[in-house]
Amino acid sequence: MTMLPGIQRLGEFEWQVPVGYVPGMRVPGLFFLSEALAGTLEEGAVQQLANVATMPGIVRQSLAMPDIHWGYGFPIGGVAAFSLDEGVISPGGVGFDINCGVRLLATPLREEELGKRRELVERLFGAVPTGVGGKSTLRLSNRELDRMLVEGSSWAVREGYGIDEDIRMCEQEGCMKEADPAAVSQKARQRGMPQSGTLGSGNHFLEVQVVREVYHPEAAKAFGICQGQVCIMIHCGSRGLGHQVCTDHLRTLEAATKRYRISLPDRQLACAPLDSPEGRAYFGAMAASANYAWANRQVIMHYTRKVLEELYGVAYRDMHLIYDVAHNVAKMEEHLVGGTRMKVCVHRKGATRAFGPGAPDLPPAYSSVGQPVIIPGSMGSPSFLLHGTSGAMEKTFGSTCHGAGRVMSRTQAKKRLTGREIRDALGKEGIIVRAPSDAAIADEAPEVYKPSMEVVRVVHEVGISRLVARFEPLGVIKG
Amino acid sequence: MSFEELEHTADAKVRVKAGTLEELFSEAGRALMQVMYGCPGKDGRTHPVAVRGDDLESLMHAYLSELLFIAEVEGLVISGADLRIGDGFVEGVVRGEPFSMEAHNAGRGVKGISYSGLSIVHDQESYILDVIFDV
Repeated sequence: MTMLPGIQRLGEFEWQVPVGYVPGMRVPGLFFLSEALAGTLEEGAVQQLANVATMPGIVRQSLAMPDIHWGYGFPIGGVAAFSLDEGVISPGGVGFDINCGVRLLATPLREEELGKRRELVERLFGAVPTGVGGKSTLRLSNRELDRMLVEGSSWAVREGYGIDEDIRMCEQEGCMKEADPAAVSQKARQRGMPQSGTLGSGNHFLEVQVVREVYHPEAAKAFGICQGQVCIMIHCGSRGLGHQVCTDHLRTLEAATKRYRISLPDRQLACAPLDSPEGRAYFGAMAASANYAWANRQVIMHYTRKVLEELYGVAYRDMHLIYDVAHNVAKMEEHLVGGTRMKVCVHRKGATRAFGPGAPDLPPAYSSVGQPVIIPGSMGSPSFLLHGTSGAMEKTFGSTCHGAGRVMSRTQAKKRLTGREIRDALGKEGIIVRAPSDAAIADEAPEVYKPSMEVVRVVHEVGISRLVARFEPLGVIKG
Repeated sequence: MSFEELEHTADAKVRVKAGTLEELFSEAGRALMQVMYGCPGKDGRTHPVAVRGDDLESLMHAYLSELLFIAEVEGLVISGADLRIGDGFVEGVVRGEPFSMEAHNAGRGVKGISYSGLSIVHDQESYILDVIFDV
């Protein structure tokens, strides 16, 4: 097998990037990868993992999950915790799409009961605004937007876009209490207002899926799913609002980096001490954006439920939210570090929280199993449900992978197959794809991603989350 | 003046070449539109633009971030720009046409302009910009 030079093997799936790989590293880097995935590792991604290890106050290791790939600032799949007294916060550790995340909705329908599939896909495509320039039907005032930014999921539920039970089934109950709408610029608001309740573009999607295989019946029972059941997966984030918050604060934090004399190998890692005015402002704005994203997914789930209600006569309340997880976020959490409990700021950039059994912030029904971890596949490929573990609490600050991770550029992808060819090929497998354009489909062809099964197998074997079930797509609404 | 998309696994990496700084900024804006909408816009409307930055790279970052904002909020697909560039500032007007779902649907939503990998080099003949758009 081939592994990049300078990297040390610690175990079957564990690899260390030693201090000194790049100058100024304070801690080593650690990533998880199987031999089968080793060939997909980019040198640029390892460099970024090592760059993160140079940041002040980083605790234990700079981590990356097996879906690691070359991003900006942190690598995608990167996780790092920072101490509250010496540590920093950085938009480069969260990304432009703050709280890009996934939610999974269970329906009482079985695969064989799901007739009218093309009509279902068309109706969902009509109900959920998608793609570049897709506009919301919500008309928010600045005051309403403020409430959305402060309250997250519960704002949407109170406005009639859901039921009370939905709120409990979101990571952090769909609301970061640290949100500070005053730190969200007018520009971010202008971008966010017309986009609330829209899916967006790129890798964002809404999928009709079936539970094809259950690996862990006890956990599946706790999460309320069984083989053959139809579910809906929604993948999107904080839209232009979050993107602008990242852009705005990147500038102020770049100035702060100089002011606090922090030396960094990459400008995208611009950061400020957690306990500084600039650091607090970014954290407050990021939390507000995270809340916007939770409200956004709540609204989209509402549209979805209404379509299923109308088309199949399923009662709204009989479609229950299994869980909603964030993939791009920084949070204050308590973790065991060197035998002592310590409050740290955990950055997850393309990584999922994977809290184990008994952890705080879990719905009572899931407390004995651990939190649901939702791993979306790429368009047309399987998605997975896992559960969090105590292993994740020990090794990765309660974190695991977030998806498949790209292996092919979009320019390469477009040279290989056209959107139409991909759509036809998926159609032959019984998967109906609907997108604003064929170009959008060509970008996200299944083969441009690492095999999601292999990524998930690694986190399962390492024990930072364990497999519960596999889902296969029946219909895809692509943004 | 020209731009081309380079290989990048996750995002869109673009290389822009131009004889002058003003052309470099104008062409960079067209490259951003190419990625976002599948084609740069046509002339018709104009919109003022003014940004500040400490150095050339941060000026470019601020300028492209501003164009992303104008495109999304004003619905303007930008075709080019008439700019004045001085010490720490860029100002002028951008030209373009209104966004339409039918004409501009072959792109990818750009989330932001990355500082990682942003570089501007200048040799005797031209300026070369490399920049990554997060898509």
